Amino acid sequence: MPGHEERLRPLMLAALAGDAGSYHEMLSAAAPLLRGYFRRRLGNAPEDIEDLVQETLIAIHTRRATYDGVRPFTAWMYALARYKLADLLRRGQAEISLDGFEDILSGGDFESAAAARMDVEALLASLPAKQARVIRETKLEGLSVAEAAAQEGLTVADVKVSVHRGLKQLALRLKGK
Amino acid sequence: MTMTTERLIDDLSTKLRAVPRRAVERRLALSLIVGMVVSGLLMAGSLGIRADLASALRGFAFWMKTGYVGTVAALCAAASVRLAHPDTAPPGWLWLLGLPVLVVAVLAGLQMANAPPEAWAGLWLGKTWTVCPFLVFGLSIPIFVALTRGLAKLAPTRLRATGTLAGLTAGASAALVYCLHCPESTAGFLLVWYSAGIGLTGLLGALAGPRLLRW
Repeated sequence: MPGHEERLRPLMLAALAGDAGSYHEMLSAAAPLLRGYFRRRLGNAPEDIEDLVQETLIAIHTRRATYDGVRPFTAWMYALARYKLADLLRRGQAEISLDGFEDILSGGDFESAAAARMDVEALLASLPAKQARVIRETKLEGLSVAEAAAQEGLTVADVKVSVHRGLKQLALRLKGK
Repeated sequence: MTMTTERLIDDLSTKLRAVPRRAVERRLALSLIVGMVVSGLLMAGSLGIRADLASALRGFAFWMKTGYVGTVAALCAAASVRLAHPDTAPPGWLWLLGLPVLVVAVLAGLQMANAPPEAWAGLWLGKTWTVCPFLVFGLSIPIFVALTRGLAKLAPTRLRATGTLAGLTAGASAALVYCLHCPESTAGFLLVWYSAGIGLTGLLGALAGPRLLRW
């Protein structure tokens, strides 16, 4: 698909000169690109994805002075998007991407559920055993942190730390995809 | 959901105003100037300006000092401008920072070679080495605050690198202000203690950057 850059860059340049029509067209075309970008990285978390799309659109607006007209526009836009995504993951809200998997597991047809289960299992298998176990217990089997701690013979703090580290690892992996 | 995004786009479009050319440079230059004015007033009010400034302006030492810290400030400010853009890495030409350091180091060596060994300690320590780095650091705070506030409104994505460069810029600019007070005149002193003060603010920037520059 050629043409995003060729189409968006002139619109952005016109917008920087004050042309609201071009600006509207550029933002409208950017939104689905951003939606795709976040969907590829976060999996199935529609609210999160739309939040990030909107945050990125706002960043495009408030920080548009940092677009250097001689450089590629889409690279600039995705740099903002990447920052917003990294910021979300840094805030530790990466669990949402796992909650997305949970939704798939609890609803939907069997085939996609099975595929998602395999995705989750494959991801969990890449973690240290302890982290994988406590994530499975607290995030997929629905145990409370205290119950998981009792079952594993660990302290509550230990479970929390393991879940947090594990989710962070998973988030990094999803981001890298 | 999609509806609100559409509404957001409508909303943003109606708020559009043209962006002047070189807006990033202007904003950071304004921050730097505001910070330096505050820092200059702070210094004039507390430490005072050296009484022999007029004669110092005719000497070599003053221009060596301002040349050194001015070059460092200019390079670091230019790198900060770069890092205010989301799609850039720390510039490759940062190695140029080594040049002023090298020049001052050579001058320090020459001054040592031309002085008797008893005078060497004085060349490196001067009379104010115990306070110089901390005064430079203290004077850099208003500049650092102004710069990081300016940068946070732009779009840095490498917050630690950006914070470090902002800190070095603030430190070197504060050192430039401090030159109006400081009575020291040797290259060795400049190399060690001015650099230490600048480095302190750089360290502050490296530590606080990720927190201060988030957007």
